[in-house]
Amino acid sequence: MVPLENYLALSAILFSIGFYGVLARRNAVLILMSIELMLNAVSINFIAFAAYLDPDRIIGAIFAVFVITVAAAEVGLALAIVIRLFRNRATSNVDEAAIMKW
Amino acid sequence: MATEILWWIFAAAIVGTALGVVFSGSVIHSAIFLILSLAGVGAMYLFLMVEFLALVQFLIYGGAVTVLILLALMLTRMGAGEKVNGSQAPAGFMVAVALAAILVSVAVRTAWPGDTGDMPHNIAIEAVSEKLFLDFGAPFVIASALLLVALIGAIVLARQEDGE
Repeated sequence: MVPLENYLALSAILFSIGFYGVLARRNAVLILMSIELMLNAVSINFIAFAAYLDPDRIIGAIFAVFVITVAAAEVGLALAIVIRLFRNRATSNVDEAAIMKW
Repeated sequence: MATEILWWIFAAAIVGTALGVVFSGSVIHSAIFLILSLAGVGAMYLFLMVEFLALVQFLIYGGAVTVLILLALMLTRMGAGEKVNGSQAPAGFMVAVALAAILVSVAVRTAWPGDTGDMPHNIAIEAVSEKLFLDFGAPFVIASALLLVALIGAIVLARQEDGE
């Protein structure tokens, strides 16, 4: 059987990979993909805790449902913003979307 | 024993494809690696015996989200030869490695209260639905309102207006 720590370590590594993607990438869609990796890492954590530590109340699993819901809403909105940005400025590079930067 | 070997294979596949997402030079390759990685996470939910969330993961992430991302990649084509990484990438790499080291060491060393070293308990679909519709009814309704608002907002934002 697989101990709880394995899931937590996997989730930590996946989160860090997504974190690196958010920091390093310049294309907005690639940053969004890295954010999806981070959200999935968090979901693994929630569900592992629910299955190992809290099998009666399973609040972690319910939280994961809401994480997935909000992630879906976020992806839809963010991609609409990216498409609007691309239409107005012909780029999806976040470094060039600096008009509100002081 | 067989479960453990399978688990390690899937864990290695998830980490490998996730590395592919952040290190691949082509955005389309990144998106395809992302599909594989999200499917691997769904397999992890099956290892944890949470069938409902595994189904949701395959349907929503494996289907809807990745299709949306591929569509956005198609609509926002990058110029040939454009660099995908910024100049801050090496510093970001070091920060991410440090974060991974800290998180993994904390996760492995902590004695989690209530962890008896047992098998993960099966979380049946019935149990999830009972929780979701009885105890978490209000958040469920609010989440559906959020989805509706986000959907309308996305349509308004992405709509082609006259004279544009």
